[in-house]
Amino acid sequence: MKIVKLKKENLFPFLEVISKDADLWAPVKKNSDRHVFKMIDDLTHINLDYTRTILPPRNIILPPEIRMFRATPLEYEPNFSHVAKRILFGVHPCDIHGLLIMDKFYSFMYDDPYYIESRKNTIILGHSCWPDENCLCKSTNTHIVEEGYDLFFTDLKKNYLVWIGSSRGDDLIRMKPDLFEEEIANEDIQSFIRRREEKDKAFQTEINFTAMPDLMELKYNDPLWDELGTACLACGSCSNVCPTCNCYNVEDKPVLGENCSDISRCWDACTLENYSGVAGGENFREKRSERLKLWYTHKLQAYISKYGKPACVGCGRCVVTCPVDINVLTVGKALDGNGIDSFWSRLSKEVTR
Amino acid sequence: MNNNKPKIGIYELTGCAGDALLILDCENELLDIFQAADIQSFLMAKSDNIDGDLDVALVEGSVTTEREIEELKDIRNRAKIVVAIGLCATVGGLQGRFTDSEEWGENLKKVYGDVEMTHTKAVQSKPIDAYINVDFYLPGCPIGKEQFLNFFTRLVGGSPPEKYPHPVCVSCKYNENDCLLNRGLPCLGPLTADGCGSVCINHNLPCVGCWGPVEGANLTSAFYLLKDKGFDVEYIKKVMANYSGTKITTFFDQLKKEKQ
Ligand code: SF4
Ligand code: SF4
Ligand code: SF4
Ligand code: SF4
Repeated sequence: MKIVKLKKENLFPFLEVISKDADLWAPVKKNSDRHVFKMIDDLTHINLDYTRTILPPRNIILPPEIRMFRATPLEYEPNFSHVAKRILFGVHPCDIHGLLIMDKFYSFMYDDPYYIESRKNTIILGHSCWPDENCLCKSTNTHIVEEGYDLFFTDLKKNYLVWIGSSRGDDLIRMKPDLFEEEIANEDIQSFIRRREEKDKAFQTEINFTAMPDLMELKYNDPLWDELGTACLACGSCSNVCPTCNCYNVEDKPVLGENCSDISRCWDACTLENYSGVAGGENFREKRSERLKLWYTHKLQAYISKYGKPACVGCGRCVVTCPVDINVLTVGKALDGNGIDSFWSRLSKEVTR
Repeated sequence: MNNNKPKIGIYELTGCAGDALLILDCENELLDIFQAADIQSFLMAKSDNIDGDLDVALVEGSVTTEREIEELKDIRNRAKIVVAIGLCATVGGLQGRFTDSEEWGENLKKVYGDVEMTHTKAVQSKPIDAYINVDFYLPGCPIGKEQFLNFFTRLVGGSPPEKYPHPVCVSCKYNENDCLLNRGLPCLGPLTADGCGSVCINHNLPCVGCWGPVEGANLTSAFYLLKDKGFDVEYIKKVMANYSGTKITTFFDQLKKEKQ
């Protein structure tokens, strides 16, 4: 690993050069206070003053709906039109961890070519961030990254310190080496250390993730799940915004007027009514409480048991997204035996009154 | 003619004819539609309509007169598969907006006075499944092109159509919208069947529910959520009832009971 320095005014010239033969994606503003990753045609639209985008960057690598192939009676024609050479700029540490987890899921037993092709063609340029009251990444230990990026930019007000994480990243720097400085002044090192200390202190929320697998097991039949199920709107948003959700549904779409079918694939969510529906009209998880158990088993138990860390990267998206306040923070706290103020806890008082 | 193609009839009861119009509006696919099926009856599109045995009947509109009840039963008798298309046929439509029968009687009187209707008698607006068995539902106000074409293609190909049992929120997230409920707006997305591609929310307007209630909608939680956000109970009921037709009756009855 190597660290170089980039003056802030040299950022756009650098992005300009490297995006000549790849699509550049970066955060831009949406509404007044949210952000989304968008393909950039004008560098001034980039807005790095953001905490979390509405959707995690996995949606650029594998969009919500893709056509996998067209099946005719004799053959099938694969379709990889979602794959393009891309540079993703401004990715925060939690989301880089999210992508590393996706890498594991999509190559666990079999490689998923639709994900992997797209992922291989995507260059990740990370960027430092500052936590708000909903960031949990310190609890999940995903507030720093050691791998998973090609370059990583740490903002030191006037300059960036740029970590080179791969030979691909090194090649990018070599496209315009005169923009970078090899010498890093003592002053920069000091401000880097200060920034790190201050950031560590800026976290306002935490959960004890190491306790979660046991608590999930012990409280598998706790009335808590019914309380949550009473409030859950089965809207699927928690899965759609989570950087580590990877479920999808495959659908046959016969083409009108032709003897063939398009096989399409779209994101699915285990909180949706029909997620566990099977042929014959049966549904293994008819109750919302059962579906939520699956969600939280995935985030707080199963992955920890297998990989030693939670399948939650602490991005806080479920916290700001779920309309009824069901999220890792409130559920984690409730499992831990803490009282919390949330719509779902208020509702359970209202309906059982 | 066309003997091995499925025989299809498209019928309109009480509604705005928007669903039939949408089918005609599939301009690029229209030739394929007519090629893939033997369209026996389609009042809006042609004049040589035959009322015989059918493989599939697509029925738009709600049932509002005694004559329509007879017509609907006749369609059911002639068709192997009956599909309710559009909000009116699936839930009763705006005209089926929840009212108890007493209130409905008063309203009828208010509008029509003591006029005696001779050709048929008006009945309270209901979705078609109030009178016959329905095999498939294709909601929407009007139905969506993509959904209709997917549905139609499967149907004429002999495979059962996919159901769309997810709420608008799914498309809303696919389109990367910030949730309007969290911004304090009364969005009905979680209660409403998807198919519109979250078009209102894409334009920063809350979902008003025009696709009708989604299967498995959690009405209770949504009701109390809006109340928790400070909306007036009567207002919430109005918003929820608008496009829910008679499919919200049980919920309102339950609310009434809770109050007592
Ligand atoms: S099972 Fe549920 S929580 Fe796990 S990846 Fe799928 S949608 Fe996400
Ligand atoms: S569970 Fe919530 S906080 Fe954790 S990664 Fe998913 S959306 Fe982010
Ligand atoms: S937990 Fe929240 S976001 Fe997830 S499906 Fe239920 S209501 Fe929607
Ligand atoms: S804005 Fe409406 S449709 Fe979108 S997620 Fe929120 S409740 Fe659902």
